[in-house]
Amino acid sequence: MKYRIALVGNPNSGKTTLFNCLTGSNLYVGNWPGVTVEKKEGNLRDTAKDITLVDLPGIYSLAPYSMDEIVSRNFLLEERPDLIINIIDASNIERNLYLSTQLMELNCPMVGALNMMDVVKKTGVEIDVREMEKIFGYPFIEISAQKETGIDELIKLVEKTVDIKKLKEFPQIFPQEIMTLFNEFDELIQNKYSDVLADYPRLFRIIKLIEKDEEVLLKIHENGDLLKDIYTVRKKIEALSNHDVDSAIADYRYRFITAGISKATQKTKENVIEFQEKLDQVLMNRYAALPIFFLFMFVIYYVSITLVGDITIGGIEWFINDVLMVAVAAGLGSLGAADWIIALINDGIITGVGAVLTFVPQLVVLFIFISILEDSGYMARVAFIMDRIFRHFGLSGKSFIPMVVGLGCSVPGIMATRTLENERERKLTAVLTPFISCGAKMPIYVLMASVFFTKYQTLLVFSLYLVSLTVVFGSGFVLSKTWFKGADSGYLLEIPPLRLPKLRNTATQVWERTKEFIVRAGTIIFAASVVLWFLQSFTPSFQMVDSPDASILAMFGKIIAPIFIPLGFGNWVASVALLTGVAAKEMIISTMSVLLSGQDGSFTVAISQIFTPVSAYSFVIFVLLASPCMAAIATMKKELGNWRDFFFALSYQIGLAYAVSFIVYQVGSRIFV
Amino acid sequence: MFTLKDLRPGQKACVGSIAVEGLMRRKLMDMGVTPGVEIQVNKTAPFGDPIEVRLRGYSLSLRKKDAENILMVQ
Ligand SMILES: Nc1nc2c(ncn2[C@@H]2O[C@H](COP(=O)(O)OP(=O)(O)O)[C@@H](O)[C@H]2O)c(=O)[nH]1
Ligand SMILES: [Mg+2]
Repeated sequence: MKYRIALVGNPNSGKTTLFNCLTGSNLYVGNWPGVTVEKKEGNLRDTAKDITLVDLPGIYSLAPYSMDEIVSRNFLLEERPDLIINIIDASNIERNLYLSTQLMELNCPMVGALNMMDVVKKTGVEIDVREMEKIFGYPFIEISAQKETGIDELIKLVEKTVDIKKLKEFPQIFPQEIMTLFNEFDELIQNKYSDVLADYPRLFRIIKLIEKDEEVLLKIHENGDLLKDIYTVRKKIEALSNHDVDSAIADYRYRFITAGISKATQKTKENVIEFQEKLDQVLMNRYAALPIFFLFMFVIYYVSITLVGDITIGGIEWFINDVLMVAVAAGLGSLGAADWIIALINDGIITGVGAVLTFVPQLVVLFIFISILEDSGYMARVAFIMDRIFRHFGLSGKSFIPMVVGLGCSVPGIMATRTLENERERKLTAVLTPFISCGAKMPIYVLMASVFFTKYQTLLVFSLYLVSLTVVFGSGFVLSKTWFKGADSGYLLEIPPLRLPKLRNTATQVWERTKEFIVRAGTIIFAASVVLWFLQSFTPSFQMVDSPDASILAMFGKIIAPIFIPLGFGNWVASVALLTGVAAKEMIISTMSVLLSGQDGSFTVAISQIFTPVSAYSFVIFVLLASPCMAAIATMKKELGNWRDFFFALSYQIGLAYAVSFIVYQVGSRIFV
Repeated sequence: MFTLKDLRPGQKACVGSIAVEGLMRRKLMDMGVTPGVEIQVNKTAPFGDPIEVRLRGYSLSLRKKDAENILMVQ
């Protein structure tokens, strides 16, 4: 017998932590069909039964407003898990039980995991789990996912409960007179509209119809009579409760909960102000909050990009160029492999994939910081601080985080958009994040600045960041009113208490993200590197090239070069460099240096022959804004989820880069003749 | 008549009625902002908006635009 059980709970209730505790290593991570909401499955550990645990997204209610809620709800209604593990943050028990009262309407066996009991005990609250079971109608168990207490007992309880076929009746949440109305309404439905949502759990169907739930309304196809009947009960409920239907139903649920927990919990000592609360007061102090935030960002950026980068990049490059490639050449050479095979492996695959893998140590460190910021609850605070600014551009405070991360590398930046719960904002942020200049583009600025803008190097780089910010906000403003138009989801954000992240959680998360990055390097980037190498090494008649300017790539470069004439860099060297730059932005400089190596004088002299200061500036602007590297493009595709948005995003990024460079060059070349 | 927006940090009052419209109204109720519940204002964000409030034992942040549509009673 195979069982499937679902882990359901509020965001910040410790769901990820508990999931990692309950499952072994055989994890499946993917997406829910059709949406980019992450789906995680794993086998329950320490049990003889075959039980798969499915992690549902963290939600506050079963209303169908966000992708997360729809995914969870459809899973619970359509896939009918054998059991629900309802994880409840016991230190925030009242709000967490609100979802439970909705889950109780699904006719599915449940167990309640009262998490964060270590915190609850410290604040001097005692919870009577037997009383809880009496009131809510399903068994509870006290756990701490952080300290790993109560986990074995939870697994035993799950094993025991999953086999009970007969469902106990859940207690009645609504007062008798409301229940009478519900029952009358249900009789009416069953007699008059027997085919309406016939497979839904009874109470869930009644309430969702009365609430005029949007998904449910879609399913009843504007049935005019039914809508009239719904209108009638709604009026009756309003008369009985003195509230409109929405507040009445929410209010009854909360009343039931408040009454229940006042019976089942007891406060044994007074609250003391915790260290965490004091820390929070400092971090969120009106005047200190922003400086502290920028300090954190600076430290994160400095440590992961500069410090770790300086230590590792040289070593990795040395390993790739002087050890790996030499060994490959020698090894394959002694086996009698053809020169072109060695070249393919060394100059194509190892160079291409290696350029991306060089960043792994920096990414790992960056991922560690991000994971800590997320798990500690600080990200919510950053969103709180920044919301005021971002709302003007069709975004909310939460969009800021991916962009900060994007300063290092667009890939984790785009991946960080997953923390945004609103789909429209998530996509818009994923499209805007590549406009933030990533670390790999820096060397290009530095090169151009040193050749053309000797006196104003810093000013040049600074102006680029200004351009990038302007483009982000401008595009946000425009796109949020056009392509990514949609209802403003508003801003309503829980600020969880500051918590010390659990090491194992951080490690798991960092590993999952890094693995994703490496897998991508091993697949898409591997394939693209091979193609690129081929184009670079062969002539149009498929002969190995003698000089780079005879290759297919050079031919492409010469064909597309005229496109860039209005931007000031219509030479084939720059065009080819832009093409190879798609593989990785670092390739731009290396390509130019390879292609210009045949010419007289040093590299910088050669560069100054094919660019003017204005066209050089136009070129860096284009590099800054035009579509990101392959890894980022692939990530963007994954997060956007569909081809339509993806192609739009790509053309928008390239088109905008073209337009801005065009203006810069055309205006600039008229001013500085 | 006063609204949640009128409360200073540290002050508390009970929700009278919620005049917020649409999706946000439902979300507020899901988060426990229902008639009768006691809410205390904790702080204002550095740029003056949003605000952070405490209710039902947890902290929630919302924009002033929504707070001014939540009518309060003593
Ligand atoms: N003190 C304590 N902290 C916990 C417990 N469970 C989770 N946490 C912490 O709460 C934070 C949020 O946990 P997480 O699993 O990411 O919550 P999710 O949003 O529901 O997935 C993390 O910092 C966890 O380390 C617990 O039982 N006790
Ligand atoms: Mg989580």
